[in-house]
Amino acid sequence: MTTFLAAQTPGLTHWIVLSGVLFAIGVYGLLTRRNAIGVLMSIELMLNSAALNFVVFNHFRAPAGVDGQIMAIFVIAVAAAEAVIAMAIFVAIYRRRGTLDVTSMDALKD
Amino acid sequence: MLMLPELMVIATAFAVLLLDVLVPEKRRVVLAPIALAGLALAFFALLATPQDGELLGGRFALDVVTWWFKLLFLLAGFITVLISLDLLDGRVRVRARGIGFRGEYYTILLFTISGMLYLISARDLITLYVSLELCTMPLFLLAAWRRDDLKSGEAGLKYVIYGAFASAFLLYGLSFVYGLTGEMRLDALARQLQGGAPPLLWLAAALIVAGAGFKVTMVPFHMWAADVYEGAPIPVTAYLSVASKAAGLALMFQMFYRVFGPWLHEWSDLIAVFAAVTMTLGNVVAIVQNNIKRFMAFSAISQAGYTILGFLGPLDTGIPAMIFYLLVYIVTNLAVFACIVWYSNETGREQIQDYRGLAQTNPVIALMMMLGLFSLAGIPPLSGFVGKFFLFSVCAGAGYHWLVAVAAINSTVSLYYYLRVVRQMYIEPPEENAPRLTASPTLATTMAALTVGVVLLGIVPVFYETIHGQTITWLAALAQ
Repeated sequence: MTTFLAAQTPGLTHWIVLSGVLFAIGVYGLLTRRNAIGVLMSIELMLNSAALNFVVFNHFRAPAGVDGQIMAIFVIAVAAAEAVIAMAIFVAIYRRRGTLDVTSMDALKD
Repeated sequence: MLMLPELMVIATAFAVLLLDVLVPEKRRVVLAPIALAGLALAFFALLATPQDGELLGGRFALDVVTWWFKLLFLLAGFITVLISLDLLDGRVRVRARGIGFRGEYYTILLFTISGMLYLISARDLITLYVSLELCTMPLFLLAAWRRDDLKSGEAGLKYVIYGAFASAFLLYGLSFVYGLTGEMRLDALARQLQGGAPPLLWLAAALIVAGAGFKVTMVPFHMWAADVYEGAPIPVTAYLSVASKAAGLALMFQMFYRVFGPWLHEWSDLIAVFAAVTMTLGNVVAIVQNNIKRFMAFSAISQAGYTILGFLGPLDTGIPAMIFYLLVYIVTNLAVFACIVWYSNETGREQIQDYRGLAQTNPVIALMMMLGLFSLAGIPPLSGFVGKFFLFSVCAGAGYHWLVAVAAINSTVSLYYYLRVVRQMYIEPPEENAPRLTASPTLATTMAALTVGVVLLGIVPVFYETIHGQTITWLAALAQ
C-alpha cells in the first residue's frame, strides 16, 4: 500500500479535489460556527483553497508563466489584511458586548 | 498621465492622514476641505485625461466606459465628504455616540475611492482582485465607525463576514477562469474562451455572479444590505448605497463585457429572472419598513434590479443606459440621503414617522426630499423617469416584454412606499411646538445643488447624448 502510494504523483484532478474539499469545509464552518473568530478562520480556509487553485493551475495549465503564483501571494496578503480588519471590528464588539457569538447579533431589525 | 486621478486621490489620502497627526484637535476642521480639494483636483485631472490609452503593458487602461465610471466614483466620493463633514466636525444639534476620528475617516474613504478607480481600469485578474478588495475592505471599517455603538459594531461584523464570504466565492470563480485559459489578461482570457464553453465556465460564472451580485445587492445576495445600512453612520450608508453599488456594477461590466462577452446573450433569461426577483423583493419588503435607513436599503435593492436590465440589450444601447441611470441614481439617492443626514443631525431620529409635519416646519427641505423620492419612483419629468425609460426601452428592444411589465408594476408599487414618507411630511401635522430646524451652509448648498441635478438631468438631454455618442464612437473604433 505504502509503496503503491509513494509511486503515485498527484495530478491536476487530485489537487482540484483537495481545493474543492477545503472550500467546502470553509463553507460548512462558516455556516455552523457560532464564534466570530471561527467564522473568520473558515473564510481564510476558503481564500486559501482559491490560492491553492491558482498555484495548481499555474503548474499544470501555464507552466511557462508565474502569474498564478503571484496571484497566490497577493491572495495571502489580502487575506491578512482582511483578518486584521475583521479582528479590529471583533475587538471593538467584544469590549462592548463581552461575547463574539454570532447568533446573539440581533440588535438590527425592524 | 493616465493615472493622475488615482495618484491624486491616494496622495490626498496620505496628506490627510499625516495632517491628522500634525494638526492639533481644534484645527482638524481643515481635513475635510483638503479631502474635497484633492477629489476636485482628481476630477479636473480626469477631465483632462484622454478617453483612450493604456499603461503598464496594458494592465491599466482607459476607455469611454472606464472614464465615465471614474467620473461617477469621484462625484459620489465628493458628495459623500460634503454630507459627512458636519457630522464629523460635531456641528450637529444631537451628537451621535462615538463618531469622530476625522482624519482616519477621510483617509479610509479616499482609499476606497482609489480602489474603485483602479477596479474599472484593471485589465488583468490580479489588479482586478486587489483593487476590488481595496475598495471593499475599508467599507467594513466605515460601517463599524461608531465604535461604542452596538448597532454600528454589529453592522461592521455582519458586513465583514458576508463581504469576505462573497469575495472568497468570487476568487474561487476567478481561479477557475484562470485554470480554463492559463491567462491573467482579460483580453487574452476572452480570446481563449471564444473557442467554446466547457461546463466549468458555467460554474466559474455562477461563482463570479455571486460575488458581484453581493456588491450590487442583487437578490438572493442582498441579505446583508438592510442590516448594514441600518447600523452604519448615515453618510456611510449613503456612500454604500451609491458608490459600493457602482463598484459592483463596474465589476459586472469588467467580467460580463470583457471576459464572458460572447456568452452573455445566452444568459439573458437568467439575468432577466434575477432582475425581476431583485426589483420585486426590494419593493415588496420596502413597504413594511419603519426605519428610514432600512427603507432606503430596500429601495436601493429594487433600484439595482432596474439597473441590471441594461445587460439584456446590445452594447450600443445597454451601456449608455446603465451609465446614465447610474449617474441619475447617484445624484438622486444622495439628494435624499443629504436630507436624511440633515434631519438626523438636527434631531437624532431616523424613523419614518419622525418626519411628520416637516413640510410645515421646513418647507424647502421637505420639497427637496419629495423631489428626490419622486425621482427614485420615476415620475416625469424628473431624472429618475428618464433613466428608467432608457433601461426599459433596452429591455423591450431585447424582446423581454414581460419584464418591462413587471418593472412598470414595480415602479407603481414603489410610488406607494415613497409616498408614505411624503405623506408624513405633508399631510400629518407636526408634533406640538416642533421647532423650525436650521441647516448648516454646507449641507444646505449640497442639498440644493443635488436637487437642481435631480431636475436638470431629466430635462437637459446633453448628459445622455454625450454618453451615448461617445459609447457609439468607441464601439465603432473597437469593431474596426
